[in-house]
Amino acid sequence: MSVMTYGEAIREGMSIRMREDNNVVLFGEDVGAFGGCFGVTAGMFDEFGEDRVRDTPISEGVIIGAAVGSSATGLRPIAELMFCDFLTVGMDQLVNQAAKMRYMFGGKISLPMVVRLPLGAGVSAAAQHSQSLEAWVTHVPGLKVVYPSTPQDALGLMLSSIDDNNPVMYLEHKAMYAAKGEVASLDPIPLGKGDIKRAGTDVTVIATGKMVSEALAAAETLAKEGVELEVLDPRTLNPLDVGLIAQSIEKTSRVVVITEECKRGGFAGEISAIIAEELFDLLDGPPIRIGALNSPVPFAPVLEQYYLPNKDDVIAAVKKLA
Amino acid sequence: MKIDKEQIQDMYLRMRKIREFESKAQSLFAEGKIPGFVHLYLGEEAAAAGVCACLDDEDFITSTHRGHGHIIAKGGDLKYMMAELYGRETGYCKGKGGSMHIADRERGILGANGIVGAGHNIAVGAGLTCSYLNNGKVVVCFFGDASTNQGTFHESLNLASIWKLPVVFVCENNYYGISMSQGRHMSIKDIADRASAYGIPGIAVDGNDVLAVYEAASEAVARARKGHGPTLIECKTYRQRGHFEGDPGTYKPAKEQEEWLKKDPLPRLVNIMKETGFTDDEIAAIDNSVAAELAAAITFAEESPSPKVESTVEDVYSDIVEEVRVR
Amino acid sequence: MASLGIIANPASGKDIRRLVSFATVIDNNEKVNIVKRVVLAAQAFGVDTVYFMPDTFQFGRVVEESLAREGVLTAEIRILDLLMEGNADDSTHAAECMEGLGVDCIVVLGGDGTSRAVAKGVGQTPIVPVSTGTNNVFPQMIEGTVVGMAAAAVAALPDPYKACVREKRIEVWVNGNMVDLALVDAVLTDDCFVGTKAIWDVDRIRTVVVTRCHPATIGFSAIAGSCQIIRDCDEGGFVLDVSPEGRRTKAAIAAGVVQDVGIANERVLKDGEWVRVTVDCAMMLALDGEREVKVVSGDDLQLRICRSGPWRVKPEEAIALHVFQK
Repeated sequence: MSVMTYGEAIREGMSIRMREDNNVVLFGEDVGAFGGCFGVTAGMFDEFGEDRVRDTPISEGVIIGAAVGSSATGLRPIAELMFCDFLTVGMDQLVNQAAKMRYMFGGKISLPMVVRLPLGAGVSAAAQHSQSLEAWVTHVPGLKVVYPSTPQDALGLMLSSIDDNNPVMYLEHKAMYAAKGEVASLDPIPLGKGDIKRAGTDVTVIATGKMVSEALAAAETLAKEGVELEVLDPRTLNPLDVGLIAQSIEKTSRVVVITEECKRGGFAGEISAIIAEELFDLLDGPPIRIGALNSPVPFAPVLEQYYLPNKDDVIAAVKKLA
Repeated sequence: MKIDKEQIQDMYLRMRKIREFESKAQSLFAEGKIPGFVHLYLGEEAAAAGVCACLDDEDFITSTHRGHGHIIAKGGDLKYMMAELYGRETGYCKGKGGSMHIADRERGILGANGIVGAGHNIAVGAGLTCSYLNNGKVVVCFFGDASTNQGTFHESLNLASIWKLPVVFVCENNYYGISMSQGRHMSIKDIADRASAYGIPGIAVDGNDVLAVYEAASEAVARARKGHGPTLIECKTYRQRGHFEGDPGTYKPAKEQEEWLKKDPLPRLVNIMKETGFTDDEIAAIDNSVAAELAAAITFAEESPSPKVESTVEDVYSDIVEEVRVR
Repeated sequence: MASLGIIANPASGKDIRRLVSFATVIDNNEKVNIVKRVVLAAQAFGVDTVYFMPDTFQFGRVVEESLAREGVLTAEIRILDLLMEGNADDSTHAAECMEGLGVDCIVVLGGDGTSRAVAKGVGQTPIVPVSTGTNNVFPQMIEGTVVGMAAAAVAALPDPYKACVREKRIEVWVNGNMVDLALVDAVLTDDCFVGTKAIWDVDRIRTVVVTRCHPATIGFSAIAGSCQIIRDCDEGGFVLDVSPEGRRTKAAIAAGVVQDVGIANERVLKDGEWVRVTVDCAMMLALDGEREVKVVSGDDLQLRICRSGPWRVKPEEAIALHVFQK
């Protein structure tokens, strides 16, 4: 057992597979000797060399495209976009190529590729470097999407993402890189398996990424008032662990969904819709969504904090349900 | 450069197959037997044939929306192609791709592509594999004149250049991006000139002369195999039909069309063959074998079943089958 | 009234030599700039009409529009009304047409191949061949401004031929008919096809005939140049066979490509002296660096050098005569 930061766990997950499999390569902007804009790949250049840890020019289209082409021909690339927001620049390669090639070609080409997408707000990076774009990638058939909230999950999901024979979007919250946690296992965590981060009996809170810690903080507060929240982290957004969600709601009959996305059109809406459609009979009240405000991410810390959802929103939502 | 009789015969076979397949696709589309869009390669056969004659089965190509010619030249099977055009279960893509998305991984064909300029990036990725594995394989990226105005062209040539990837970029300049003539969609005449911006060689060749294409491609492929990096070859050619079937091509001046028809690559190669000592019978024998193969392909396609509707949700992922519709 | 013709070959400068050697790349926009400088200098020295060959890049139109927009065009620009085929014949036809119009001088931008095409079309009109590539022996690398001044000077001289040299040429005769010509070199190669036109594989070359040679040039004339120096004003030329068993010599057969070449049967040619070449299989004759004439087994191929090429302007002499002898 060891303690790692979230960033270190991502790096360790990549490094484990790179030590085992020569076909795993990593490329992106400044991921080499510079160690990545957030330091996530620090030291990997020294360990694996310039052939396997490659700096690319600032060309998001060809970063994703090179992952498509190299995975179609035998490698298992990990492509890093410096910020998830830059996906806009490489969207064709992701949506029209990576997601569709297997299908268009009748299942005869596999694309075992991982695209790392640092996302999320909280560091005053403003509107073009802070977005949470889960909805965009989960909407596209052909992509798998994971979003770890702890160092342990970051490591285990990275292993499974690299092992997967489909394009996997690996969402990582940039404000969590320094967050520490215990890493007890070096085993892969299967995609599509959620995790109960806190067991409880009264209300299920489904949370992703950094919102998991907000949900846990709310649970601590509410526990003092005698309300026990169950905090469920799906960890994989597609495929979604609907079974675990059903089990939890069977116990609690109430559900709040919190994600960092703008509320309108977010993936939280999809989770809520599935619950409403498939688990309606288990519910005592409507599923409640919590998201960020429907504005671009603002710059000033005071505005950004106001924009983001937090534990108080969770507490308020739970009280509304009660 | 030495080009022997067998090589000429091989190139002619590839060109004849493309010509006949496309002519048939044209009439089958007109008869309503092929759904969707069909972008024909008629008139550009020498480019695909001359380039692919330099490649091995294990080499890779990326293609375009006008991809039939590249796929045939790289060894694609006419019957699976035709079945795909018909939307049949036995097609290359099980009826999920159609004309614009045919791929054959076994023959290194990384797919036709419906997005103009998308193949550039994918070719660079495949080039990364070849370079990283140091396996001596090369990638040919086929694309049209208009796609060089896409950002992907810039990104890809730049990355291929700095990483010295074994990618040969083959621009088929057919002088039109849909309805827009080259003079209207760029301010330069020779797309080969664009290579200098990436520090790589760029050359222009007569794209309707298969031997000129072959010579240029041989040198570029040899250079790539030796690890000397990418090359841009501009093949000057002409699209004899409209952008897609159904486009009458009224934007193309009749005189221009007429002049280019005189430069049709097939009769030109036939003339060279006759000068080289091919008899009429030898040429007819090749033509007959192509006709028979094409007839068999059409029969195969027409006798093949349509895909089962349940298969709609298969092949999205390697391991997940999505839910079928509950009605 | 002084007039000037400009023939700019848009296709020069991007053939396969950019791949097989390290030949210079000059894009068409750079050629436009050169032509603009030619026109500006020529009009400043008295040229009032400039005729252009129509071409696919539309050099004439581009230059006219640009200079007119800048407000610096005083000469009249006229584009010849010719049907273009997009090959070397265009340059030949344009040269014929310009001579028919009585232009005083023709500026030719391109390589040896372009000058050769023009030489087929002109008789008495002086030409200024300007190199826009490499591997060139005939056209000079010379600043466009100087070219424009020289062309204008020739137009103004009472006897323009005082500033010119009458060039030699190689006549190519097959089975008793003159079929083609070359200005610098004729090279027999056992390639059987036109292909990409250029020749770069010395192992496939049989015989080389040149009108001029110097070891300091680039191309197949450099092979002969390793035996003897023959200038444009000297009599006759040179012939040799390339043979692996022959005497070894080093020659710059292409830009950046200096190779060991085996030569045999080398000898000086007199003006008008016939060289008869045995043709025992299908071969190509490359003229000024481009595979052009196909010959087959049994053909009677004969070559000779005559001083019946174009009048080539010597720019420095033309300008000096114009400036100091007024």
